[in-house]
Amino acid sequence: MSDEDSIDTGDRGDLAAEYVLGVLPVEERRLAELRLTSEPRFAAEVAFWERCLGGLAEEIPAVAPPSHIWEGIEDRLSASLRPAAERAGVWQSLAFWRTFAISSAALAAASIVGLIYLTQIPSLEPPLLARLDEQSGQPGFLAAANPADGSVTVVPAALLTREQQRSYELWVIPPGGKPHSLGLVDPAQPVKVMVPPELLPQVTADSTLAISLEPQGGSPTGQPTGPVIANGKLASL
Amino acid sequence: MDAETRRRQLVAGIARVGRGDRAALRLVYSETSAKLFGICLRILGDRSEAEDVLQEVYLTVWRKAASFDEAIASPMTWLVAIARNRSVDRLRSLGSRQRDAPIEAADDVADEAPTAVDRLEMDEQQARLNDCFQELEERQSAAIRSAFLGGLTYEELAQRSKVPLGTMKSWIRRGLLKLRACLER
Repeated sequence: MSDEDSIDTGDRGDLAAEYVLGVLPVEERRLAELRLTSEPRFAAEVAFWERCLGGLAEEIPAVAPPSHIWEGIEDRLSASLRPAAERAGVWQSLAFWRTFAISSAALAAASIVGLIYLTQIPSLEPPLLARLDEQSGQPGFLAAANPADGSVTVVPAALLTREQQRSYELWVIPPGGKPHSLGLVDPAQPVKVMVPPELLPQVTADSTLAISLEPQGGSPTGQPTGPVIANGKLASL
Repeated sequence: MDAETRRRQLVAGIARVGRGDRAALRLVYSETSAKLFGICLRILGDRSEAEDVLQEVYLTVWRKAASFDEAIASPMTWLVAIARNRSVDRLRSLGSRQRDAPIEAADDVADEAPTAVDRLEMDEQQARLNDCFQELEERQSAAIRSAFLGGLTYEELAQRSKVPLGTMKSWIRRGLLKLRACLER
């Protein structure tokens, strides 16, 4: 074994460069994306490498896409802009939540108060709340974890473009730990998921909730495989 | 149209997309889709996957346009990053099904492209990048290029080059260090 072979395994790579290059396995990729949304310095590093390495794309020839691609984009956009079809009462109503939640942190706080009622806490144990921000910094979802009944309620807080043929999967990530799936949520209406008992200890203050885009039915691997579209930390009120 | 005019039009177009203007999305699409489709095809090596990912790319552009910041990235840099990220994500989620395909398959697909290559606008950093690549060892630069252009993991790159994983990591990491030192000079 050469000298070179023995040194590297302990070597820490430049995570931002490796993320941009695309050499990371799925889990590390997802962790890099989480840091991207929460650490401005890391985001600046990634931007540096995107500027530098992006130039390599010069050598890839352009290929005109078939015309039906644009039609497909229009269809998917129209589908996502249609109002949610059926609504079950005012607390389940997306329009109601949007009224409170859309694009204003102050109003988002108001709907968090609403969320507490939504979760209908039977005990005095306070729920944990999280605002799941999109990469743009806008709130994408609001979540309330209710330790009393082991549920997490996830409410869309923004007009998200629904991705056809994709599922939205909710993950809990304990500090320094790996993501655990909590099930699928919906970008168009509130969803209450029951946390499996073995995962309840992970749903604590300072754990991160994240939502990723997955193949229909959820991640085939048990770890996030698609991009993380929103994430935020749980905190007690 | 010169590169600077094109860049300014794209910046304006993306800003309009960020305000929910669908006609502007159409404009950005017609200006950039051939380049981005080439990238998706190159990474995925499969036409129907690339077509599907290209749609996702522009839906992502629609969703994230409001957060585009000209001060951080040129419009092409931003778009290329979205196209690469969505393609790499798809490649990973396809898992082993796709991994058996030899890297040459991707080249074959790309070769079917029209020869009139649409040279995309990239700032002077492009020339700089080329110079800096010249300073790398041949195997370092080859590894970094095929990682970027093929969207492969360290493990896949090592298998294809028939070298131990640690060796591949070392080539790429050292190459990146040198590249960074050169680019920051």
